[in-house]
Amino acid sequence: MEYASVFSILATGLAMGAIYALVGVTYNTMYSTSRVMSFTAGQLGMLGGVLGSAFVLRLGLPLVVGFALTLACCATIGVVTEIVAVRPVLKSLDQHLYVLSTLALSLMIQQVTAIEWSTEPQPFPRVFGIGSGVWDEKFWLPIAACALVTLFLEWLQKRTLVGRAFLAVAEDNFAAQVLGLPERNLRIAGYALAGAIGGLAGFAGGELMLAFFANGGFLNFYGFVPVALGGLGNNRGSIVGGLALGLFQQAANFWVGGVFASVAVFVVFIVVLLVAPQGLFGPTTARRV
Amino acid sequence: MAISENALKPATIASLAPFLAIGVVAVLLPFVGNDYWAVIGTRAAIYWVLVAGLNLIVGFAGQLAIGYVALLTVGAYVTSILAAGTVLPPVPLPLCFAAAAGVGALFGVLVGLPALRLRTFYFAISTLGFATIVTQIALAWRSVTGGGVGLAGPEFPPPFNTAWGFYGLCLGAASFATWISANIAHSRFGRALVAVRDADVAAEANGISKAILLIPIFLLGGAMAAVAGGLFATLQTYITPDAFTFDLSIMFFIAILIGGRGSILGPMIGTIVLTILPEAAAPLASWSTFLYAALLLVIVLAVPGGIADLIDFKNRRAITEERMIVPKPALLPQLFAHRPTPAALTLNGVVLAFGGVRALDGVDIVVRPGEVHGLIGPNGSGKTTALNVISGYYAPQEGEARIGGDPLPAGRPELRAGLGIARTFQRPRLVAAETVLENVMIGGTISGRAGFLATLLSLPGRGRDERELEARATRALQAVGLEALAGVKAGRLQHGEQRFVEIARALMLAPAILMLDEPAAGLSSDEIRRLGELIAEIAKQGVGVLLVEHHADFIFEICRHVTVLDQGRVLAAGTPAEIRSHREVVDAYLGR
Amino acid sequence: MTISRRAFNIGAVNVLGLASQTIVWPALAQSEQIRIGWLGALTGPNSAPSDGFNRGLRYGVDAVNAAGGANGRRIELITRDTQGDPTKAVNATQEMISALKVHAIFGPANSGESLATTPLMARAKMPNLHPCVVNSLIDPTKYPNAFRMGPSNRQWDDAVRNYCLKILKVKKVAVIGDTTGYGVTAVGDSVAAFKTDGADVVYSAQIDATQPDMTPDVLRMKSAGAEAIVAWSTSTGMAARLFNARAASGWDVPFVGHPSLGSGEVGRLIEKAANWEKVYAINYKSCSFDAEGKLPERTQAFLDKAGSKLDLKGTLLWWVLCGVDAVDLFAKAVIESGGVSSEGVIKFLNAQSKYPGLFGDYSWSPTQHNGYPTDEVVMGMANSSRNGALKLAPGYA
Repeated sequence: MEYASVFSILATGLAMGAIYALVGVTYNTMYSTSRVMSFTAGQLGMLGGVLGSAFVLRLGLPLVVGFALTLACCATIGVVTEIVAVRPVLKSLDQHLYVLSTLALSLMIQQVTAIEWSTEPQPFPRVFGIGSGVWDEKFWLPIAACALVTLFLEWLQKRTLVGRAFLAVAEDNFAAQVLGLPERNLRIAGYALAGAIGGLAGFAGGELMLAFFANGGFLNFYGFVPVALGGLGNNRGSIVGGLALGLFQQAANFWVGGVFASVAVFVVFIVVLLVAPQGLFGPTTARRV
Repeated sequence: MAISENALKPATIASLAPFLAIGVVAVLLPFVGNDYWAVIGTRAAIYWVLVAGLNLIVGFAGQLAIGYVALLTVGAYVTSILAAGTVLPPVPLPLCFAAAAGVGALFGVLVGLPALRLRTFYFAISTLGFATIVTQIALAWRSVTGGGVGLAGPEFPPPFNTAWGFYGLCLGAASFATWISANIAHSRFGRALVAVRDADVAAEANGISKAILLIPIFLLGGAMAAVAGGLFATLQTYITPDAFTFDLSIMFFIAILIGGRGSILGPMIGTIVLTILPEAAAPLASWSTFLYAALLLVIVLAVPGGIADLIDFKNRRAITEERMIVPKPALLPQLFAHRPTPAALTLNGVVLAFGGVRALDGVDIVVRPGEVHGLIGPNGSGKTTALNVISGYYAPQEGEARIGGDPLPAGRPELRAGLGIARTFQRPRLVAAETVLENVMIGGTISGRAGFLATLLSLPGRGRDERELEARATRALQAVGLEALAGVKAGRLQHGEQRFVEIARALMLAPAILMLDEPAAGLSSDEIRRLGELIAEIAKQGVGVLLVEHHADFIFEICRHVTVLDQGRVLAAGTPAEIRSHREVVDAYLGR
Repeated sequence: MTISRRAFNIGAVNVLGLASQTIVWPALAQSEQIRIGWLGALTGPNSAPSDGFNRGLRYGVDAVNAAGGANGRRIELITRDTQGDPTKAVNATQEMISALKVHAIFGPANSGESLATTPLMARAKMPNLHPCVVNSLIDPTKYPNAFRMGPSNRQWDDAVRNYCLKILKVKKVAVIGDTTGYGVTAVGDSVAAFKTDGADVVYSAQIDATQPDMTPDVLRMKSAGAEAIVAWSTSTGMAARLFNARAASGWDVPFVGHPSLGSGEVGRLIEKAANWEKVYAINYKSCSFDAEGKLPERTQAFLDKAGSKLDLKGTLLWWVLCGVDAVDLFAKAVIESGGVSSEGVIKFLNAQSKYPGLFGDYSWSPTQHNGYPTDEVVMGMANSSRNGALKLAPGYA
């Protein structure tokens, strides 16, 4: 096998892995402030690409403006998720109604995009226009975005009061409330942040994945796999899991072909879940009684 | 349809009426409609065969399987492949369907396995992934499935080869599906499913093992979906992987939720409506998935009970405000007709730490048969934790718990009921959506004798079980003084009443050991007095009662022995008189 | 936004059309009109071809009605959007047969839905013209009512293979497709046919259309020594990524294959215009510009006549022409057979030899229902699309 192929698989695998990881972080961020996983996480990734393309290519806005607007819109969708699909069902968390409400919202987002945007993949603008071959920006942009988000979250949690409040809520929702933390505002902020991270994933991966409505459902699944691998709520686990998934998937695509690659990913996912239901990196067991 | 031994009761007739109405419309359809109606009617019937099974999984057990179209696919391909005889020699149709049911059942369990160990969302995602994989395999395995070109569906011999003939066959299948799913729903299995959904902790305490319960349900759901798949293939005349869309899966799922969880009629109406709706709104075809999703959101947010809740007029009638709980302890001997083997419950040096906190730090307790044993202490002293260790929710890190001479298997709460240990909870864990009587019947789950198959086919054993459970539950309700509320949904009761329902549920076991976690909270003084009498009378049946309470007076009045916990240690133990005069206890808690 | 407006228009036209007809000809409407059912995937991911057919059908119906109808009877086009979903298609077919009582049906166009609806139409002896490429759909014994008026997959395959082997004169080919039903089947058939013709299939694979980078596959085909790449996929994203990967690896191997390679959507997704060179997509003589940039006379005459009434933006000319031909054929069948009986229409279709349509000369007989002439199928230069027609690929005499 040629080195060129190896490099190409590595570049694509890491880039896709970074996108999966970011969607995984989106899942985690939503989960940490609300104990809820939302099917809108993948759709946010899809919207990052579609909105970026819509603002920059269709409306002709400058790239920076388009980027800022994309993140703002995705953050808004994050907040909408919280208000429409999460808050109303939080009081009956044990009935798992959030699975249904977020699934409904997610399908609505996808369907509107299919009808109003296009059912064919649309082009995404060049961001910096730097690099070619395996060093093309379409490969390193998602990886850079993933690194930036990781550093930002670390900084947020270690250096800021808000970040520590996030951690407190994530650790023990009830205790945080008792301590007088504005739990609801923190949750809204958490969803806005999650929305922006999802949007960033889509924007950074836009050149790679194109502005395509079906990316939403795709990212819902492939973004959740790192969460399952890395352990729910564990961002580092998600990032490691995401990169591993990306590499595994691209390698499998290359060696066993498209059909069996997805079967292979699914089998690994199920086996890991059955062997280590809490993920491979650190459990967060909930008390039941 | 769902006709059982108690078919003649007016309430049963009333609940059967809507099914009969749908049945009559279905039977009259051929006389008024054309072949197009036949296709739509057949489609609704086929979908219902699948949904009736899926309903037990989603609607009753609350397991959110969103990718169930995968099992329809499996069934469609198995029947078509076997009937076409491209891989094996052609197989007669009934055998094709039997094989499909078998393969479907197998896959049903395979898809369901993650649900036994994983959180809901994980299960939802894994069924979704499975749905994608099945289609991919159907595409790739060209030599067997025909790949993208697919293969012809099975053809039925006369008289089922005409539109209306096939409609009749599918209607029969749908009726049978309704009947068997109703048999399960209205049995100890059905009530246990709902308990797993809404009160899983209580379900375990009543001896319901999620895995043992769900596996036959997954088998059944898979088999029904696969049979539906075979019929679907015949209706479509030709199957290709693209016929099995994710939209179809969502439709099945939403039909159940629109219909209402824990109902059979509701999802049936949901299935019919969702099959007809897209036909009526043909110009809106491109928006159909969006409308389904919007409908789902509205249902979840506004009417979580679905259609079933909207048409449940009975439970909107007000229940009498002025009501008192008047237990009839005299009835208890009847419940304990088969006296439990008297056995003492012993905790020996039990240690349990959460992180650095030692919630239990070497606790010894002995509860003797026929004795009421009080457990008191301040908040966080480990009272409830002690109950949870006995119940098996926590495995002690040191020490052990025994009943009689046998050690209690640690961390296996579902085995406690079989050992004669029953309990109530500090925050009542009832199934709010079921009636008080049904809640109490859950307590008798392990005493049922009719197996899953006998229940499915309503063999005589099921009727006997049901009558016996109902009679005993009614008696238990009379004993605790709530028989007037037997038909009311448990969620509408006050907290105090719910505690008594839990006691009645626990009595269904005729337990050797009964643990009560703060049963007197929220009761009036009269009611507390009556509760005391009831507890005393329960103990007289030879039951060892372990009572956790805050009301010290109440404890001292009815207990023969009292243990005081403080920071996970036994501070004092003895008769009420001894505790009353125990200096540290008096100083610290009694404050007199 | 194109799709929503399209969907809305279809809906609106239906509603308005029905309303105006019932108002203007209330009593006679039922007996007077010729009802043609049209089952198309008008929305959803595979809607591009049906959008093209739809434009042709509407134009055709308007043209016939404007000329006074067929034997004085107006044609009514009854449309159902199947979204490419076989389940919806089966329902809609039965509705057209039993409830709407149409006299003939055009479509469906996608393979899954056609496979499911064809037996239903056969049972009802419903005259059916369709443009679906699946080989097994044509079987005059099983489906004596079904007539193909477009190329079959085999004809496509032949055209592609002949271009590779006889015109490009390559010996080693790579055959790839996407992971959809169509892709999997087409690759299988194509590989088998190449082998039969003695060509060396050095590489064949199913590629996931969502795979973001096709470089590894392209490199593998390169190192296998492929002299031409045969691509079977309707995915425009996949096509564009393949062309980009080919350019990135500095290779100039020709691509030959599915009509989608020449779709306008591909043009928007490629990184550089040059990446679309040396790509040859299936096309037809009737829709090909010759060396002087002229369309065949018959086609040009039609386009001149239609003028602005026909919108050819963002679609392929052959879809539109095929739709127009279908309406004309049904109208002729009614005129010649003197009525709308299915026997009459089927008999008329079975008797056609070189019926001069716009898209091609159709010939059917009681034993041959593949109506489209094989030599009409040619390759076009994918990047040369104008008004939905392509420049003839180099090498044709």
